[in-house]
Amino acid sequence: MRLGIPAKTHAFTLIEMMVAMATASAILGVTVTSSIALQRSFNSTDNYLATHTQQIRIVDFLARDVRRGLSVVSSVDEQTVQIQIPKYIIQAGDPEAILNPLLIGTPRSPSRAIVSRDYNINYGAAAPSFVQYKVNGASIERWEDGVRTTIASSTDNLLPQTIDTELANTEYTTTSITFKPISVADRSGTIVYATAYLRNRRRPPP
Amino acid sequence: MQTKKNTKETGNVLLCVLGTILIVSLIGATVLRNSTTRLNASSNQVRAWKEALSAAETGGDIGFAELRKQLSDPANQWAGWTPSGTGYGYVSPETTFGNSNLRARTGVETCYFDVSGAFHLGSNPDPNANNWYRVRSKGTAPLPNLKRTGMDDALTNDGLQHFAAIGSTQMQDITARGKGNSLLRKIDFQYDHFVATYGPNGDGLNKALVTASYAPSISRRVEQIVMPVTPFFDAAIKSATTFYGLGSAAWIDSYDSRNGPYDPTVKTNPNSLYYNDSRHGNVEIGSATATIMGTIYGDVATNGGNVTKKTANVTGTIDNNVPFTLLDYQMPDTSAWTYQSSPTNVTSTKTLTPPSGGTSGAPIYYVFTSISGALTVNPAVVGGNPVDTYVAIRVTGDISGGNAGVTVNPKVHLKIYFEGNISVKNNNLVNQNPSLANPYAGNLQFYGISPPAGTPQTVTLNPATPQTLAATFYAPSADVHENGNPDFIGTVVCKSFYSNGNISWHYDRALNDEGQLLDFRIASYVEDTR
Repeated sequence: MRLGIPAKTHAFTLIEMMVAMATASAILGVTVTSSIALQRSFNSTDNYLATHTQQIRIVDFLARDVRRGLSVVSSVDEQTVQIQIPKYIIQAGDPEAILNPLLIGTPRSPSRAIVSRDYNINYGAAAPSFVQYKVNGASIERWEDGVRTTIASSTDNLLPQTIDTELANTEYTTTSITFKPISVADRSGTIVYATAYLRNRRRPPP
Repeated sequence: MQTKKNTKETGNVLLCVLGTILIVSLIGATVLRNSTTRLNASSNQVRAWKEALSAAETGGDIGFAELRKQLSDPANQWAGWTPSGTGYGYVSPETTFGNSNLRARTGVETCYFDVSGAFHLGSNPDPNANNWYRVRSKGTAPLPNLKRTGMDDALTNDGLQHFAAIGSTQMQDITARGKGNSLLRKIDFQYDHFVATYGPNGDGLNKALVTASYAPSISRRVEQIVMPVTPFFDAAIKSATTFYGLGSAAWIDSYDSRNGPYDPTVKTNPNSLYYNDSRHGNVEIGSATATIMGTIYGDVATNGGNVTKKTANVTGTIDNNVPFTLLDYQMPDTSAWTYQSSPTNVTSTKTLTPPSGGTSGAPIYYVFTSISGALTVNPAVVGGNPVDTYVAIRVTGDISGGNAGVTVNPKVHLKIYFEGNISVKNNNLVNQNPSLANPYAGNLQFYGISPPAGTPQTVTLNPATPQTLAATFYAPSADVHENGNPDFIGTVVCKSFYSNGNISWHYDRALNDEGQLLDFRIASYVEDTR
């Protein structure tokens, strides 16, 4: 006598199960591995691009200040830059603000003086604002009259270098920002270069 | 035993693989989309931020070009511009240009600096002085596509303050607003943040919530101070080529006639209020051939010379690396001047009394073939009273002869444009405006029109007593010889200079803003980074 087994109630054999489980495990493994790899890739790419953006930001910050600056001095190790910029906006505590607090936050009218056979246009009787760029650990900081702003920060190697070159009446800076991603050890780094000229007549540094 | 194959189970593995590929592809696509979108947004903002400055500086260039029409096309200056709200200048129409549809607009306002150096809006109250200009420009670059933040500048509720009210100490530059890239690049996503926070002029007035001209967009603002280039600025003697002089016992110093007559004791009296005014007897030489003698209470500049403090007594600095050039001088546009057809020359003693006073920009204008006699210029009389009178004389030939000379009476402001040569005695150039005791050199100005190339032009001032001479000479093509040892008040700008007399030479600092407008120059640049 033969037992008729309905096809709909057939179970998988052990071999089929093992093959199916092995295949599923392999697929799952590939999926998980791929996901993790892609996630890492995403993080690396995002971090790379974000740091690249910071490279550009540092250069742009520096160029903006140099362009409106009155003098630029870079340190011997090229890691620190000091810039004098016109004190264009009246701040709380400035002499004009003490006399008339309503002037706080308004643009300052210039004054003029003749120095070394040419005009100097000054904003405010006091000294110009003093801006300093420097590296502090993994951060690049901009200090303006004692107020600090972190303009870039990365755990990757972000190395700014600036050289200033004086000409007869002007001056320019050549800046390079090197970015060496720690996630890609064998790379020598990506460098962004920039050159910026003083728009104003160069003055002696403080 | 045979089992029956279940055909419905075929293809499961293929489906699983396809599903996996789909999932992995979606993840990959998401990675790429996120990264590229954020990078593109950041890159776009970087581009727009830089282009906004380019647009703002283009606005400045437009303003500068319009100012220079004062020299080249005064009739059409400010055509199409509208008066500014302050009443002291004009605002340009908005200019759209470039592939990115950048927009530029600029405002030019007339201003001046008083004796103390303080800034004032409006025209200089001294009609003989040239005006300065304040040029404020705004450039806008649109940010096409959706309103997105960049890589790291999304403002989140992180407990930090990203905005500062006007007037707060946190306004100090970049701490005022933003985070990440927004510290630097201030994007107007919907409203113009500058007008909303600081007002349209940045002075805290008329703050309003107005939609940005493009949304989103980035705007940048620059302020430039434009100065007139004038012929007599801060130099007692300026020679484009060689220089020899003065006598070993001579001196060059300076003073400011607006503070009273020249006082010879000031230059050696540091306690004097005007001591600083006495140390601008500068000598500028555009070549290396420089023989400096006497005492110079000021600076010396040469172009490659070897002047040291051992060869002359120079109280100021010596800079042997200051090249400059003097362009040929041409007769200015006379179309607005009031021409008088007679007289046409001065061969003997002659007195001019103009019919009206004229103005600095539209003087009473005479054309002489030569001056070989003594010319006296009186002020015009209006209503029985002498009035300030502005006279311009063009001499197509020489000013020379034993009696040749010019006397300027009080209230007369005389400019002589000569095409030939000058050879006169020092004492035949008499400047009595405002007084003989305290004459102002700017009231007797000589301009040497450059002859064709290769044709020499000379200015020779010969000895005679008494010898007080108050005048200015701007003759960039002339060889100047001062053969006497007069008390000279004023300045000489020339091609070459020679003098061996023991002259006491006083540059008048009131001349700084005076004289024929030669050109404009940008003296200052500052960006409003708020």
